[in-house]
Amino acid sequence: MKYAFFPGCVLKGAAAEAYTSMQKVCDKIGIELVEIENWTCCGASHAQGVNDLAALAVNARNISIAEHEGLPIMTVCNTCTLQLRTAKHRLDSDEKLKEKINGILKEGGHPYEYKGTSEITHFLWVLDAHPELLKGQIVRPLSDWKVAAYYGCHILRPQEIMNYEDGKNPHSFERLVKTLGAQNVEFDAKRKCCGFHAQLAAEDDVMKVTGQIVDSAFRAEATVLATPCPLCQMQLDMYEPEGREAVHSRAEVPILHLQQLVGFALGMSKEDVGFNRHVSAQAKLKLDS
Amino acid sequence: MDVTLKIHRFVEGRKWVQGYSVPVSVGMTVLESLIFVKEKLDPTLSFTCSCRSSICGACAVRVNGNAELSCEILVEDLLKRYETDTLTIEPLGNFRVIRDLIVDWDPKYDRLKKIKPAIEPKPEFTAETGCKQSPEEFNKFKKYAGCILCGSCVSECNKNTLNEKDFLDPFVFVKAERLVADSRNRSPREHLQAVQDAGLWRCFNCQECTAKCPKGLDPAGAIEKLKEATFKMGLSQGVGGNHAKAIYDDISDSGMLDESKLNIKSEGFIMAGLRLPMALRLLNVGKMNPLESHPINPEIQTIKAIVKAAEKEDE
Repeated sequence: MKYAFFPGCVLKGAAAEAYTSMQKVCDKIGIELVEIENWTCCGASHAQGVNDLAALAVNARNISIAEHEGLPIMTVCNTCTLQLRTAKHRLDSDEKLKEKINGILKEGGHPYEYKGTSEITHFLWVLDAHPELLKGQIVRPLSDWKVAAYYGCHILRPQEIMNYEDGKNPHSFERLVKTLGAQNVEFDAKRKCCGFHAQLAAEDDVMKVTGQIVDSAFRAEATVLATPCPLCQMQLDMYEPEGREAVHSRAEVPILHLQQLVGFALGMSKEDVGFNRHVSAQAKLKLDS
Repeated sequence: MDVTLKIHRFVEGRKWVQGYSVPVSVGMTVLESLIFVKEKLDPTLSFTCSCRSSICGACAVRVNGNAELSCEILVEDLLKRYETDTLTIEPLGNFRVIRDLIVDWDPKYDRLKKIKPAIEPKPEFTAETGCKQSPEEFNKFKKYAGCILCGSCVSECNKNTLNEKDFLDPFVFVKAERLVADSRNRSPREHLQAVQDAGLWRCFNCQECTAKCPKGLDPAGAIEKLKEATFKMGLSQGVGGNHAKAIYDDISDSGMLDESKLNIKSEGFIMAGLRLPMALRLLNVGKMNPLESHPINPEIQTIKAIVKAAEKEDE
């Protein structure tokens, strides 16, 4: 199995552990990742609010490089997935817009046209659609773990674009948690927004919701919270202390990237998946050798 | 087959959840199940409805935590979706409840008035010549003119749930974009400034409004269009807008986000300086490295040229 990998900015920066753990996990389960050459930022859900056409052209360029390689695209970030799939959805359903964007790519000197031939998917969906990838690979079933499977927003909404499953009642993540041998906990916040994208513009509200989400997992007796989005992970992990303060909670929960959770079940150590780079609840994660 | 409806009741300050068993018929809508309860089981249950054709917007309620237009959503579809024989029905979220499933629209209309929700035509239009516009101009706002004011979009809006005082309802943003994008409008800037003053940049971009709109109007997209218009009309935006612009500029400058400078560009040196404790926290675990230089994409000239070409095309 081979994908054009779109890592997104934070995997090359503050969430570098999400990048290394992704590489290691994919290597172990037989997914070959070919990083999209000279990819650019997807717009991080903000660029279209400055100039929509430019943001669309930038993502058309990203997608066209994978198309040239003849590969489907995979990401491990909710927002990158939404941004890329939105671009694809718009270009595939509007011939005139596609023509315009291809004119822009050509004028900018980009060698490839956007054609619409590459699918765009998320690592969670790949694991869910291909259970054979993990078959026989779980050497450390996470049987004592109670996992709060936190989806975040952009992997579920809007339904028209993020249509792998029913966004109002998703199950893919819970199925994966079960496959890894762990238990799911039911918690109120699993489809809530972490507020990452408004962190600066609505800080007090975002701290409150950060606290509410972690507290919701804690009250459901989760031993870890895991998420398919590195932005949610950063928000909940980096600001866990402020979130706690904002909602007067004593919740202290390790916040894992989805691929770290998988890595642990594949027998990897905390160092292997970069858990030492986490800000919160480091001591709370119990891992059998 | 029967469905159990667990309906959140609220009558004169008293709250309770009441269960009703309703036989499900093929094609039965949630509204029909509520009418069955009222006509056959409990005449005290209160809810609003009118057209039963997804046009009037009066019958939106929350089913299992998600806003739905009750006259168009089928009970059997919801039972299948939630793999259950029980549906929990509540009034819409982020509204004041008057009684049972009836919510108060008056405070919402007050919020709608903040954006001056009416058009003053351009001076060249007269009673004699009319207010003509081309089909292309009409298409720019046609979608947003389809809002039926059902309130579904705000029911699960994450920002409104946390604090509605410094933000608007998604349908208000839809209305604002409908006005700003209308070529007949004498003063789109006025609506835009009002929207910005009332919290445009505080949207979480959680997409709940777009996921819930029964008319497919994409309120989250309307919010993005309004943001874009603030740049096109030269309004100064504050932290939220600076943040978006910093990200946009990073794409042209290097190809990817320069996390180390994002806060300074968004908030300025002084505010960003106050975040020193967080920076130390991140340095401590290796999430930040001041010695690392920000990489420049080898194809940056092409990327810059693409952005420039798009901006030119958009003028």
